[in-house]
Amino acid sequence: MAETLLSVGIDIGTSTTQLVISRLTLENRANPFSVPRVAINRREVLYRSAIHFTPLLSDVVIDAQGVKAIVEEEYRKSGFAKGEIATGAVIITGETARKENAREVLSALSAFAGDFVVATAGPDLESILAARGAGADEYSKEHHTDILHFDIGGGTANLSLWSHGELVQTGCLDVGGRLLKLERDSGKITYVSPVITRAAGHLEHAGRGLAPAAPYRIPAVGDSPTPESLAPVLRTMVEALEQAAGLRPGREKMDAFLTQGTRWEPRAVPVVSFSGGVADCIDNPPADWRAYGDIGVLLGRAIAASPAFQQAGRFRGAETIRATVVGAGSHATDLSGSTIFYRDMTFPLKNLPILKLTAAEEKGDAAALAQSIRDKLGWFADEGGLSQLVLALRGEDNPTYSRIQALARGVADGLAPLREAGFVPIVAVEADQAKVLGQALAPLMDGPLLCLDGVGVDSGDYLDIGAPVANGAVLPVVIKTLAFQKS
Amino acid sequence: MNEQELRSLVERMVLELAGQPAGGGKTAPAASTAPAADVDPAGCLEDITETDLRRQYLVEHPKNGDAFRDLKLRTPARLGLGRAGARYKTISMLRMRADHAAAQDSVFSHVDDGFVEKHGFVPVQTLCQNKDEYLTRPDRGRRFDEANQAIIKKTLGQSPKVALVVGDGLSSAAIEANAADCLQAIQAGLKTYGLEAGPVLFVKYCRVGASDHIGELTGAEVVCMLVGERPGLVTAESMSAYLTYKPHIGIPESKRTVVSNIHKGGTTAVEAGAHIAELIHTMLERKASGIDLK
Repeated sequence: MAETLLSVGIDIGTSTTQLVISRLTLENRANPFSVPRVAINRREVLYRSAIHFTPLLSDVVIDAQGVKAIVEEEYRKSGFAKGEIATGAVIITGETARKENAREVLSALSAFAGDFVVATAGPDLESILAARGAGADEYSKEHHTDILHFDIGGGTANLSLWSHGELVQTGCLDVGGRLLKLERDSGKITYVSPVITRAAGHLEHAGRGLAPAAPYRIPAVGDSPTPESLAPVLRTMVEALEQAAGLRPGREKMDAFLTQGTRWEPRAVPVVSFSGGVADCIDNPPADWRAYGDIGVLLGRAIAASPAFQQAGRFRGAETIRATVVGAGSHATDLSGSTIFYRDMTFPLKNLPILKLTAAEEKGDAAALAQSIRDKLGWFADEGGLSQLVLALRGEDNPTYSRIQALARGVADGLAPLREAGFVPIVAVEADQAKVLGQALAPLMDGPLLCLDGVGVDSGDYLDIGAPVANGAVLPVVIKTLAFQKS
Repeated sequence: MNEQELRSLVERMVLELAGQPAGGGKTAPAASTAPAADVDPAGCLEDITETDLRRQYLVEHPKNGDAFRDLKLRTPARLGLGRAGARYKTISMLRMRADHAAAQDSVFSHVDDGFVEKHGFVPVQTLCQNKDEYLTRPDRGRRFDEANQAIIKKTLGQSPKVALVVGDGLSSAAIEANAADCLQAIQAGLKTYGLEAGPVLFVKYCRVGASDHIGELTGAEVVCMLVGERPGLVTAESMSAYLTYKPHIGIPESKRTVVSNIHKGGTTAVEAGAHIAELIHTMLERKASGIDLK
């Protein structure tokens, strides 16, 4: 079986907007004499768009029409029709995610880009997709090592730490190439990010060495800086990155740049990797430091000149400036387990919040399970009552059939209020047991029912589920970790 | 040292090794009883087969033990055993022999009559009279005598849609570990497709080909046989399901659909049961099995 899916990735970042179209190839990895196990075994990027500047109407409003026009134009140039696109993700990243109309632009665009193109946002997901797009996760798996990946764009540096292919933590620093913007010709500063003001104390400290007599002047709009006068700013930003990588003692500089509402625990790593627009400026900086009208080139050079980063191992990823968009196009979509159960369902299902029981609650008998589920359902109710959600279970390694029956009774009873409110019971199990649980649930209720497995999700995550593929054996899923962090 | 001295030295050493103090008439406490004080007479030895081999890594001073452990999690192969001189360590040798013994036991032991009775299976037996005949005469493990034929016909009736059969095959342990849960899942799954399976046959000394004789006798549309797989060193508890659409004597093996590796470390019994129920439903719809179903 060599079924393929076309997948689109769209990244609307602080400075650039990009699109890629990838082909995902599905393959049954199990031998013909066992239960099927369909997986994505190849991800190829078929089309890479030009890199566009993200159109803005003002400092706080994204030009929605402008973004849509870029996507339309790139679809046309790619030669693929919208109808051919089976899956994919739009991600809105960096400072752009904080614009007033970010959410509206995102949902409008995901609907416009294809039937099962999901909307994603949030620094966690951005960090994960960038690392996957660059191949840092694969590297850490193949080499059985830890790696810290930096995706440094215009507004933010997204960090993700991987150990043996597994994600350990994600974080975000407000370190980027466009924290200062300047006119290319005159060299005058046109924009200073509030982040610079926030870190002023550290910058002044760093600037003391430059001109010991006079206090260091923080760059301001209208100034005409030189690389030398900007050096303290860049040095402080690089030191923040070094502290995050555990390559420099302390964490005060890193904390000064930490994105609001995020956390990061520095941990020494043997290998680092970089992607994002600034990554290109580390290895191949343009000769003109003002080439992009910002400090990206200087930041790249400063990282390259850092003795700490020179001494750390370095993995050069497959993608640099396109890492996030390739991550969104090629790596956002996963597949459910291959033994699943669904009845009378309409796909796709988008943006479903997760109700997860604790491990202890899951061990309860049917009545206790039902009670735990009913208790937690209340958390998902608002003025309008309940909303569609996914019940997530870990499942057991080798359950008996009577245990499955008890589980089914508990789930059916616990989700009864959801069904009465007109929503579909959807159960996502981590262990391989969705089909048997679904078949056990089926006689206990009428109408639509969906049970899928091989999906590890946590409370706070969101799940998108696409229409079945591979002869109906598996469902494409996109797990959105902490999308739209409440802040 | 002259010959006399050498002789007495050797004598003394031999006596010491035998537990007798050299030259002394006093008897030393018997060596065999000394450690007995530490052993709990009611207890038992640690069960070495309880250790998960995927997590057991025995190499001393590895260069990158974490990486090797990572690899080990992905395979049941006996890797990273370390060695003592040129040989395996004692624990590896013992474990190999223990697993081999478990494999042999599951071939040579019988499914407990109590197990068959407890789950309400209807017992029948092929032409084989004992394990030796079963192992040496595969042909006789595929056919039934007249008395057993009559029981089969009576139990399954004429032209059932689905006949569920459990056969001991080459691993009784596999059947006792998986068959009951798997069957419950199959039966419940069939109900969701509006299908009903009748009583379950249990076949002693069973080969997969017994399905064909059962099909011939009853005209069953699908025969689903759960049978113990030939055990290996990874597990002695692996079960397979062989499903055949309209089996009859002489049907080619290519007409069978098989779901193998049903055990706690492979596909679990309940999930396999759900998959099998769907397969049966598909076979009845498409009127085919084996390569015809692809």
